[in-house]
Amino acid sequence: MTARRLLAAASCLLILLIIWPICALATNAAPIRIGVLAYRGTGEELSNWDDLPAQLAAAIPGRTFEVRSLAGPAMREAVQADELAFVITNSSQYVALAAEFGIQRIATVTLREALSSKESLGSVVLTLASRDDLRQLTDLRGKRIAAMAPDAFGGYLVAAREFLRVGVDLEVGDARLLFIGFPMRQAIEAVSSGKADAAIIRTCLFEQLAARDMLRAADYKVVAERPTPGFPCATSTPLYPDWPIAAARRVDRQLAKDVAMALLSLPPSPSGMTWDVPADYQPVSELYREMMLGPYADLRTSTFQGVLKNHRFFLLAVLLILVGGVVHAVRVEYLVRRRTAELQAARAQASELQKDAEHMARLSILGEMAGTLAHELNQPLATIAAFAQGLARRCAAGPVDAALVAETNREIVAQTERADGVIRRVRAFTKKRLAVRECKSIGSTVNEAVALFSHLQPDLPEITIDDWLPLGAQIEADHLQLQEVLLNLMKNAADAMRELPADEREIDISLAKGDGVVSIAVADCGPPVPAETFAHLFEPFFTTKPDGLGLGLAICKSIAEAHGGRLQVEPRDPPPGLVFRFNLPDARHAK
Amino acid sequence: MPNNTPPPLVHVIDDDAALLRALTFLLESASWRVAPHSSAEGFLAAWTDPAPPGCLLLDIRMPKMSGLELQRVMHEREIALPIIFMTGHGDVSMAVEAMKLGARDFIEKPFRDQTLLDAVAMAVRCSVAHHEEDSVQRALCERLQRLSPRERQVARLVAEGLPNKTIGQRLEISERTVQVHRLHLMEKLAIHSAAELSQMMLRANPGS
Repeated sequence: MTARRLLAAASCLLILLIIWPICALATNAAPIRIGVLAYRGTGEELSNWDDLPAQLAAAIPGRTFEVRSLAGPAMREAVQADELAFVITNSSQYVALAAEFGIQRIATVTLREALSSKESLGSVVLTLASRDDLRQLTDLRGKRIAAMAPDAFGGYLVAAREFLRVGVDLEVGDARLLFIGFPMRQAIEAVSSGKADAAIIRTCLFEQLAARDMLRAADYKVVAERPTPGFPCATSTPLYPDWPIAAARRVDRQLAKDVAMALLSLPPSPSGMTWDVPADYQPVSELYREMMLGPYADLRTSTFQGVLKNHRFFLLAVLLILVGGVVHAVRVEYLVRRRTAELQAARAQASELQKDAEHMARLSILGEMAGTLAHELNQPLATIAAFAQGLARRCAAGPVDAALVAETNREIVAQTERADGVIRRVRAFTKKRLAVRECKSIGSTVNEAVALFSHLQPDLPEITIDDWLPLGAQIEADHLQLQEVLLNLMKNAADAMRELPADEREIDISLAKGDGVVSIAVADCGPPVPAETFAHLFEPFFTTKPDGLGLGLAICKSIAEAHGGRLQVEPRDPPPGLVFRFNLPDARHAK
Repeated sequence: MPNNTPPPLVHVIDDDAALLRALTFLLESASWRVAPHSSAEGFLAAWTDPAPPGCLLLDIRMPKMSGLELQRVMHEREIALPIIFMTGHGDVSMAVEAMKLGARDFIEKPFRDQTLLDAVAMAVRCSVAHHEEDSVQRALCERLQRLSPRERQVARLVAEGLPNKTIGQRLEISERTVQVHRLHLMEKLAIHSAAELSQMMLRANPGS
């Protein structure tokens, strides 16, 4: 029993030792995820981030990055689920996510046209040049205005704020809004086709389209143009900072700093885009507050607010009682769940450990025999190579008889099957698996183990099997585990007789039925074993072999016990040698 | 080659019947006469003196009499056939012992056909020289015999006039390692230039 506990502790330790560095490596190697708002506006600047992972990885050794393109709602979900380390998004979504999840900006995109990182973009309200009736934003009250989307920043919100400032609240229907989606230039098309009276677009889009001859600049005019010295594009609004990159709250500060430094030192993109120190997004926040949108959306529900104000003490009391009840229910539920989960986890862990220990034992046997295994595979490989190369030489020398080619081919195929057989046997044996008990003939299990052993063992001793069992006797057991025990015992027997002349090495396996038990005995004729060695044979990590782990017999013993059986050792009678006897309860007898 | 020397015969011993057939097939495809044997005992039983020149391709791991044991018996019986050992992965210590006992060469399974055929050609050439009592050839053979298999590969490529870099690429070793092998083999052969080496290789192995 102590042996088993020791074994479990030892396996734990070993498994930890094996797994720990792997885990450490894995966390280092996992790519760092950057979510990027899917943007399908004009220009490459904000829609192509393909180079970013490589650029960051080059600047930050030992880290890899991966960019994920996400639409607005998907981005929010990903941030909420804590799937992203960094977020690159438009200013308005950044402010919303910062308020909700505490993401923190570390750098800001600056396009070529920008005045500075905090004055980079605004909105333009465009109308047809012929519309003399439309000069001020107030002139658009009750008119049809095309914009991109309710959450578009330059394509709607920035302009909406200016409308609100002059008393036109677009959010409550002071004008008829047409949200036409991507691409943004459709808003202009809506104006030219007469579907809308005016269009709200991001600054500089108009100039870009005009430069590409996609529209005639003279056909349009800007409503309420604001003079902005130094800014190369027309605008109807003040300018705001452009897209930031923000770090999720859990991101390590050093990593955030490294990424910021890497971005700041990137050369300008072909279109002139650079990263700058993070801008102040307070103006964006203020925009939201004035618009009563985003994080300030509840300000819009003013009637509810009034109720709250008048009855706040009563409401608070009700709320407290409710919260108290809910907290109690949740707590009880939580405790029950936690205890159940703990119990399940403990059970799962125990079975996992058992599985790992057995798996490791199998691997350790194979490891000890790896040299022989390589030999076993080298033979067919060398044979295949020689046949193939010989054939190639004959072909090069002149015409070759078809029958000879066919015969050589047959030889080669036979060798591939031979190699395949070796691999298959080993693979079946090394597979990690759960214990499966089945009723099966014990004789065939022993024969398979002997066959596998003769493939793994150099200088194979003579093996005799004396089967005294009734014909076709079956046993209910995990037969793969039985094979494992047999392999271990045979390997030990062979090792014990290593010093003997080849013709004296002999392993005798006998199968017999006793009083309610089936017994498998493996006997060797090795030299006498000192008494102190004999006493420690079954202890884990006790070994007399230079390359042994000392787990073999300990695991055999635990397997025997798991089957309700026993593993014993006694001196062979007549000497020399030892007999390992593996007793299992007889299935039929048990019934 | 004078007419009184019988044509060379390559003996192969391997207990793996399929590999024995494959080796015979490969050697015959390079126009060697081959005598296959499935055990060391079989080879000894079939041995008759005087025998034609040749060499012995010998599996180091065999069930009854091992390759090393056969080597000892051949020593005792003064059978002067050059031996090329075939070793598997992990048989390095055995191979080292074999070389100490005067094995001609050893090659590791699985091997390239060219490596095997080069080793056989070189061994047979020495055996023929021994037979013909050609003292110049014998001296050359004995000197070349001192090279390790890797050094011999390097020597062959140096003799072809290839630069170290190309040799390194060909053998998948670093240029620096080639340099080391080159120094060693020049020392062992007591020569000083690639030109001398190429002359020497040509004289020792005119067929190739």
